[in-house]
Amino acid sequence: MTYLEEIKQHIDQFPGMPPLCQSLIAHLGDPETEFKTIRDLVKYDPGLTADILKFANSSYFGALQGVNSLQTALVRLGTKMVMELILSLSVTSRLLPCLPGYGLMAKDLLKHSIWTAVAAQELANMLNMKQVDMIFTVGLMHDLGKLIMDPFVQFERLQFNKVFETLKASFEQEERHILGFDHAQTGAMILEKWNLGPQIVAGIRWHHEPDKADEYQDLIYLIHLADMLALSEGIGTGIYGMQYTVSQKTIQILGLKKHHIEYVASTTMDKMKELETILG
Amino acid sequence: MTLLVVDIAEMRISNNPGEILITYSLGSCIAMAMYDPVLCLGGLIHCMLPLSKVNREKAQIRPFMFVDTGMQLMLGQLYELGLRKNRAVIHVAGGSQVLDSHGIFKIGERNFTVLRKILWKNGLLMHTQDVGGNKSRTVSLNINNGRFSIKSGGNLVHYDLS
Repeated sequence: MTYLEEIKQHIDQFPGMPPLCQSLIAHLGDPETEFKTIRDLVKYDPGLTADILKFANSSYFGALQGVNSLQTALVRLGTKMVMELILSLSVTSRLLPCLPGYGLMAKDLLKHSIWTAVAAQELANMLNMKQVDMIFTVGLMHDLGKLIMDPFVQFERLQFNKVFETLKASFEQEERHILGFDHAQTGAMILEKWNLGPQIVAGIRWHHEPDKADEYQDLIYLIHLADMLALSEGIGTGIYGMQYTVSQKTIQILGLKKHHIEYVASTTMDKMKELETILG
Repeated sequence: MTLLVVDIAEMRISNNPGEILITYSLGSCIAMAMYDPVLCLGGLIHCMLPLSKVNREKAQIRPFMFVDTGMQLMLGQLYELGLRKNRAVIHVAGGSQVLDSHGIFKIGERNFTVLRKILWKNGLLMHTQDVGGNKSRTVSLNINNGRFSIKSGGNLVHYDLS
């Protein structure tokens, strides 16, 4: 069996979405969804209710006074954000294991994913890009594919290390070259299987090659930049994390100034730490 | 031996010979270790960004996030504890960057430039300098003997006092 066939088999066997999320997905694309619908879906799950309350009370969401009911939490966060949170919470427990192939210790992938989600959201706020949906969810899920790819990367360690020494290509290109697939493709296939809609799939598929996307550019470039910033700052960088290429179009497409990037790096860290305590 | 972890945007000082200061995963961030062999006194800092002017409010709460405010505080604290300039052994590592031919992220390079300038202004010399490139590094300082170690990929290199 080739690596590609084996990887596809792993994608097929990857666990599905929890049932609650599946019910929520039905409401995802509908801007008219009443929060009553969401409240009724959530209220029978005490763990989830508790998590949502923790979020609503975090300074990340600018909490000033305590929120102690689900109803108030939903109003504070907004239905869209709550749906994003529920989807995000459904994957966080999967981001905890260590991934020796990529050189990531336990929780590193979770930290990296939260950092990316927060930084992308911070960039969007700073650039006044209010219409970009699903930033947080895509940020949190963008590297899901690494969970499947890790044992293969580890098995081909010698090959990857050779590349590491010579530094010819971006790491995802080397994944494709050596294994037939890269982690962005693998992640996108998991999300396709979960039926989470084209926006999330595209955000994950193109997060290292944003120039190739023909839709959802704003979302994709935000995630790309936030991911590169996280890797650059050493958050979940592992062995090969510095060996990714920044798209030169990023600055122009997002209308960024260089000091924006450093400012976002400075604000993201503490928010990441706060969310890490809630999500981890 | 106890490992004392210096988190990102933090600094730690020790004069306990049973301790090793360590900081993980320096990408574009920069780390500096400073050691006085006579006092067995050392510090290790892990800075994310070059200049505090980018977010002054944050610099008040987290001075070690920035090279300028962090270094100033670190040097002050070490001198206060008796570290002498003429005995100081200084190691600097980090400041690498992702593959970025157009310089969107020049954070690593800028971190090093600012750090070097501060050392120069203070009349301090670097004994070890492992900076730049496209690799992530983990570094440590052994308070017992001043050994500075850099781990990158599978390679581990030690720098001992001569």
